[in-house]
Amino acid sequence: MLRPWPVLLFLPLAACGLPNDPDGTSKRIVSSHELRVGVTDNAPWANARAGKPHGVEPDLVRAFAATLGARVVWSYGSEAKLAEALKSHELDLAIGGFEAKTPWKSLAGVSQPFAKTPDKKKHVMLAPPGENGLILTLDKFLTEHLLAPKGASA
Amino acid sequence: MRGIPRRPGAEQALRKAHRLAWLSIAYILSTIAMLFFVMSGSQALKTEMSGEILSLIPPTLFLVGDRVGRRPPNRRYPFGYERAVSAGYIGAATALLLVGMYLFFDGGMKLVAREHPTIGGFPLFGHVIWTGWLGIAVLLWSGVPAHFIGKAKRQLAEVLHDKTLAADAEINQADWQSAAAAIFGLVGVSLGLWWADAAAAVLISIEIMRSGWTELKTALGDVMDRRPLTIDQKEDDPVADRVDEFLRGQPWVQDVIVRVRERGREFTAEAHVVPMSEEVSVELLSKTGELACKLDPRLSDVTIAAVKQMPKDVARARHSEDA
Repeated sequence: MLRPWPVLLFLPLAACGLPNDPDGTSKRIVSSHELRVGVTDNAPWANARAGKPHGVEPDLVRAFAATLGARVVWSYGSEAKLAEALKSHELDLAIGGFEAKTPWKSLAGVSQPFAKTPDKKKHVMLAPPGENGLILTLDKFLTEHLLAPKGASA
Repeated sequence: MRGIPRRPGAEQALRKAHRLAWLSIAYILSTIAMLFFVMSGSQALKTEMSGEILSLIPPTLFLVGDRVGRRPPNRRYPFGYERAVSAGYIGAATALLLVGMYLFFDGGMKLVAREHPTIGGFPLFGHVIWTGWLGIAVLLWSGVPAHFIGKAKRQLAEVLHDKTLAADAEINQADWQSAAAAIFGLVGVSLGLWWADAAAAVLISIEIMRSGWTELKTALGDVMDRRPLTIDQKEDDPVADRVDEFLRGQPWVQDVIVRVRERGREFTAEAHVVPMSEEVSVELLSKTGELACKLDPRLSDVTIAAVKQMPKDVARARHSEDA
């Protein structure tokens, strides 16, 4: 009979830069230097009505892209459109005041929160589902760049 | 003590089994709590958690059943309460089967829909680490100690001749298999194989269905008074043959049919005996019954019915199922 011990052998894997993205999104971003981000207008989190997107979330996204050596390629759409685009891997990120309890959970991956509003709502970004390497990189970045609770009124 | 085999150490084993049942419950609750936090988008962890929740049932049934099952018989329940446990087990095993099926389809659908499990970071002491690694740690906690708890239960089950405890032990001992499957799933996901998670979930659900089926068979056999099987449910228990042989060896016995039923951890035997002569003394009958009862520590009583000829239905007990 087998013994439970063999499973212990897998723990060292934690050290080798895993998890990978099943669809290789992280690699593609690094090699193409492009982070494809969808914005839906939702001030003050993301203002996308005129000119370049601005607000706390676009700023965070630009900083995140910089850590990957990529520039942001923006596109615009409704929440539903962005979630669909994430699902079909046409986008790498979606922003626009999404909350942790977003109804788009079933289509997209949800990041760690980067801000908590006074009414206890956690604000997150959406990523392509299952691209766990990218999501972990994003989670690490967002946790290091937490916005102070006042960020909501920014 | 009522309701346990007359064996040295049986009472002590029962106390130990009680402690193990409480330990199991606390241990399973700790696993469920941890799984809840690290589950994220993993179907394998979700399936494992459902399995853990279900595995709370056997130790609970053991504790409740032991309290209820050893109550003395009364007018309303003239045979005592031992079957209460079997009745409980039918429910528990059915739940296991149904939930196993649900999880099987749930995991299967994720494979078919090619759904990629999202497992992101988990903030822990100021660091963010991949939730999958935490999942693996929790799975080790859910699989490895369970193996040893199962082993200990298994030994007690044999002393006590407690099938429900034996089934519980088997589930505990098999727990590391589902934990290992889930670990393979998470390692697969970490390597970028999205399907590994749902595939592991399907394997675990099959294991849940299998244990549900095994327990259902045991419990149904119990309430249907099937011929007693050994504690591992693999072969006939020799108890019936032993009583049969003993009675056949009595000089006044011409023919005998022994039917043994299991009542919880004990056996009761009913023997129809055709004596050599028309006259048999009450003294002889009750004396023989008492002696027969001593043949096995698990026999709680042996009823001897002297008959002129074997009743037709009783005689059928000799035939195999398909005859």
